[in-house]
Amino acid sequence: MSQKLMSSRSREAAEWARELLLRPEFTAVGAAIVVVAVFSSMTPLFWTIPTLASISSVAAELGIVSIGMTILLIAGHFDLSVGAILGLASFFVVTLMNDFGLSPVLAIVLAVVGATLLGLINGILQTRTGIHSFIITLGTSLVYRGMLLAFTGGFPKAVDMPRTVSNIIAGPMLFGGMRMSLVWFVLITALATILLLRTRLGNWIQAVGQNPRAAHNLGVNVTRTTVIAFMLSGALAGIVGVMQVARFASVDAMRGTGIELQAVAVSVIGGTLLSGGYGSAIGAMMGAIVLATIQTGLVLISAPGFLYTTIMGVIVVGAVLVNNWFSSLISRIAPMTGEETEADPMQRVSSVPRGKEIPKSRGEGTTIFPKALPAKREAQK
Amino acid sequence: MMTHSQPNGAAQSPEETPVLEAVNIAKYFGATTALSDVSLKAWAGKVTVLLGDNGAGKSTLIKILSGVYRPDAGELFFKGKKVTLSGPDEARALGIATCYQDLAVCDLLSVTRNIVLGQEPTKGFWKFRIYDAKAADRLAREALSGLGVRLRGNLRSRAATLSGGQKQSLAIARAMYFGSSCLILDEPTAALAVRQATRVIEHIDRARQMGNAVILITHNFNHALEIADHVVVFARGRVIGSFERDEVTMQMLTELVSREA
Repeated sequence: MSQKLMSSRSREAAEWARELLLRPEFTAVGAAIVVVAVFSSMTPLFWTIPTLASISSVAAELGIVSIGMTILLIAGHFDLSVGAILGLASFFVVTLMNDFGLSPVLAIVLAVVGATLLGLINGILQTRTGIHSFIITLGTSLVYRGMLLAFTGGFPKAVDMPRTVSNIIAGPMLFGGMRMSLVWFVLITALATILLLRTRLGNWIQAVGQNPRAAHNLGVNVTRTTVIAFMLSGALAGIVGVMQVARFASVDAMRGTGIELQAVAVSVIGGTLLSGGYGSAIGAMMGAIVLATIQTGLVLISAPGFLYTTIMGVIVVGAVLVNNWFSSLISRIAPMTGEETEADPMQRVSSVPRGKEIPKSRGEGTTIFPKALPAKREAQK
Repeated sequence: MMTHSQPNGAAQSPEETPVLEAVNIAKYFGATTALSDVSLKAWAGKVTVLLGDNGAGKSTLIKILSGVYRPDAGELFFKGKKVTLSGPDEARALGIATCYQDLAVCDLLSVTRNIVLGQEPTKGFWKFRIYDAKAADRLAREALSGLGVRLRGNLRSRAATLSGGQKQSLAIARAMYFGSSCLILDEPTAALAVRQATRVIEHIDRARQMGNAVILITHNFNHALEIADHVVVFARGRVIGSFERDEVTMQMLTELVSREA
């Protein structure tokens, strides 16, 4: 009897492990461990506070943008304008404090609201026109960047933010030098994970990214869900814009340039599918840690600068390959614990009237013309 | 036109009013007439099969019945009351559930999440409500066992692991569980293996026994005759025959459809 108990318990453990290995973030966790192991073996400076502070600061800012990108990718869309939104949010903080004399807290709140509205514009444009979000946000990123250039006149603008405020946002307050942005990063990752896995909206975001038509048929408001995902992406980019003002006490016209593609890379390393419907905030967190560790680690071992982008490129493609290979490997293992629903109350249908004239040999599939799969985005209009 | 018999089921229906009734429906797309003068009744506890070749107008009709299109002429009655459906949401709210062939399931969501999608149970207070995974699993299990659907594997494994037939059954179970009284099934057995199709047919029969009005669209005559209480045959946007199950044979249907098409 105990043997049976044991075996069922160990099978449950095996099933739990299998499910865990199937999670999208698994490869990113593995990659983070490998990268950290490699660099800590190459330099004694790795496990020091300045190094870790540098890694966590880069990872936090990149990671928060990437979590927004991940949520949007799961909903089936891109946002190439997050870099420009980040820059505009930085500008909002600076100009609201300098030119409008608002208190820093109010300026920060309004900057994040502004970034959310820029995301709203993306979302409305996409859902109204039905044009692919890649094109829409490519366009808006140029417009937003142009606005930032116009507003700043191309020159850096400095701001005098009170120490307390900037310290709470991104000051080196933790463990003798780690930046506060790490706390916000962990918090946002946790909230995004709860959103995706434990709320109705999270379920809808995943469903909308996979099969918008089915989601629509089941009463999910596809348009609203999509727009909310765009707004979250904008809001998170805005939060990072605020963090960068706290860190640099300035804004310039090129702020945030290029972070959109890094964020896509981070999401992909974190196991998020570019085709939508599937991904993880914890994966994005791990992906950001991987990139930040490489970036800082290469400096530590005094590697030439070009290596960073090269290695990043290799890692992006490599991560997807490993991810695909690994998940196909794991999904070949059948579920360990089965759960069968209650026994069929109506074992066999005997009441179905059967026409005598039906030739049994022809039983199935007289005319099968499977309908063409409708274009995935069609239903989102 | 042959044998325009009794309007379907008038005599032996247990209830007086059909659950869903379409009267003289017409639909035009530009110069093309997709449907003209189409009438149909779906009774509780009966399966009404719509038969017809591709392009006969079956899909247009179910899109009208499920609120996707608005008819250019004609009227819809739900449980005897005249209704105008302004969208699929409204049809669903009335209790008209439509299961489309390819569009039923999100492959990467778990079986449970697919079943509760759009109706997720939550726990918590005020605005702070989170998805209640246990309640969702319980709902999913009830929905499936209500229809007698048995799934190998875990309710939390991805729907991608289900067979095509199981996905159809899942969609039917879901529609029934969330309180529909009229099920519209678009080609549920197309592209299924024989055994899977048999299963799905059994589940349709179960839905009928539970008192649902079922409208089944198919162009598989075997399946049609196996499950139908009434058969309505379409060609070129019109009803060319409306029969009780006992009145029709395979030969009749084949001749009717091939002659008209």
